[in-house]
Amino acid sequence: MDPSMYLLDLVVFIGIFGIMSLSLNLEFGFTGLANFGKVVFFLIGAYSYALLSQAGFPFYLCLIIGALIAAVFGFLISLPALRLRTDYLAIVILTSGEIIRLIVKTEDWIAGGDWGTSVAPAIALPGASAHAGILVNIGLVYVCLFICFTISRLLTNSPYGRVMRAIREDEVAAEALGKDRAKYKAQILMLGSAMAGLAGGLYVQYLHYVLPGMFLPIVTFTVWIMVLLGGPANCWGALLGAALVEVFDRGANLAKDLLTLPTDASNLQYILFGVLILLVLLYRPQGLLKESAVKTRATERVRSLGGAVRNKED
Amino acid sequence: MDVNWAQVLVNSLVTGSLYLIASVGLTLTYGLSGFPNFAYAEYISLGGFVGYFVADELGAGLPAAFIVAFLVVGVVGFLCYRGIFQPMARRGATIIHLMVASIALGLILRHLIPVFGDFIPALGWSWAPSYFTITWVAFDFGPVRLTGLWLWTIFTAVALSVVLHFLLTRTRIGKAIRATSSNPDLALASGIDVEKVIWITWFLGAGLAAVAGIFRGAETQVWPMTGWEMILPVFAVVMLGGIGNFYGAIAAAFIIGLAENIGVVALTALGLSTSYRIGIAFLILIITLIVKPQGLAMFFRRS
Repeated sequence: MDPSMYLLDLVVFIGIFGIMSLSLNLEFGFTGLANFGKVVFFLIGAYSYALLSQAGFPFYLCLIIGALIAAVFGFLISLPALRLRTDYLAIVILTSGEIIRLIVKTEDWIAGGDWGTSVAPAIALPGASAHAGILVNIGLVYVCLFICFTISRLLTNSPYGRVMRAIREDEVAAEALGKDRAKYKAQILMLGSAMAGLAGGLYVQYLHYVLPGMFLPIVTFTVWIMVLLGGPANCWGALLGAALVEVFDRGANLAKDLLTLPTDASNLQYILFGVLILLVLLYRPQGLLKESAVKTRATERVRSLGGAVRNKED
Repeated sequence: MDVNWAQVLVNSLVTGSLYLIASVGLTLTYGLSGFPNFAYAEYISLGGFVGYFVADELGAGLPAAFIVAFLVVGVVGFLCYRGIFQPMARRGATIIHLMVASIALGLILRHLIPVFGDFIPALGWSWAPSYFTITWVAFDFGPVRLTGLWLWTIFTAVALSVVLHFLLTRTRIGKAIRATSSNPDLALASGIDVEKVIWITWFLGAGLAAVAGIFRGAETQVWPMTGWEMILPVFAVVMLGGIGNFYGAIAAAFIIGLAENIGVVALTALGLSTSYRIGIAFLILIITLIVKPQGLAMFFRRS
């Protein structure tokens, strides 16, 4: 592949996984939900997109309906999961990913079973160059990313965002203050799942195919690395993490072609991923960027008046 | 459709035995350390690989394979705790951070197996499945067929239950494990070396996972996903039995073994793929967590 295409491809991936990273940031970073099944909602968005576009729906409806279906699944998972302890929630979501992948793999009639099926691109430009095609994709992906980023920022800087952080810090206390934690958690899981579903749709229309092997648990884990590395509860951090992890991934792929190793380099890549996350957890659990302070007109004024609030926080 | 129900029962016994051996270590370490160690799946795979190397590549026989795998993987389990989880817990890591770390560790261990295989070809480790070459004699008891491997699986599960029962109730270390599991602060105040208790449990737990890995590997195949393929039933057993509850795990393992084998009959009757059998463990897991998150523990005294 010529280098400029390679770079543009990287930009698309950063955009798609930036959406995933933002959505996990809402769930884990702000609300403290251990969603170990991001890939479930990514898969549902992807397969919804594939099936709807085969049925002849226009791409924007495919993306929106895919996101809505993913949100419904998020709601369904939230029903048993939200009354549960953190570790139970993690186990339930993680294992449900295995079941959903098993279903699309086994049932050939859904979308070609193990072999998958091809997906039409969202915006087809007959006769256009590969460059133009990828630039159109960048436009589409980054519009979606911008929408998700704006929603994240507005939400987390609102009173709603303060409830999210309160639930993360002490959910019993939040409940005692009259905040229905189950309702909030269900809403956040639905929103996060919708974003992940949107990312899934964008992903398969960009790659032009969908198959169960694309939705291994490693996808979930990659998104976790992005959020933890970038800095939980910081929307810019989520994007930074997504960019760093994708660049690292590409770098490792390039190195793989350049170096001749006596072993399969993709194994080493996963090992490096694992080591990276252990190092972050051991030595910088707060991530690269610190948690962003709540930013509203009122806090801005207080800050400009002398920064008392800020100093107290530090 | 004609179903050989006697055979279904025997199969359930074998499945249950395997799940019991595979889950005991997880439930004990989960109860003691308070978080689910997802890298536990990799202890199972690693056990299968070490056992395969000793039994097949070295030709030292199965008994040696069990002992070596138990010790090697036991040490790996201990090192994981000592090297990663303990320092993290000391620095006040949350349960989410510990779980993420365990997934990272699992990723590292899983992909280290083929890397070791590439650097040391004598190990015979790779992503491609390996098979134990031992052939098992099949016995027929009336309508029921049993293989030597199955008899060993059942025997090991029974022996494990008896030995662990006496270990937990009659020995100092067993009592210390139970005390630490139910109240670590009180255990510490009573002069129990809580750290040492946790280390020993992680060693034993990983070693038992390795034994399960050999049984599973001998029954099917050995590859880096051997353990991950079992993670669902293993977690279902731990949850249904009640976290940290060894007696609950015994009951849960056989309940899930039975449910899975009856489920296979039902799936076949319905014309569905039998690969959905792990879905049955998933259903049990979900129902347990919704209805009674403490599992069967209420029927058994705490262990």
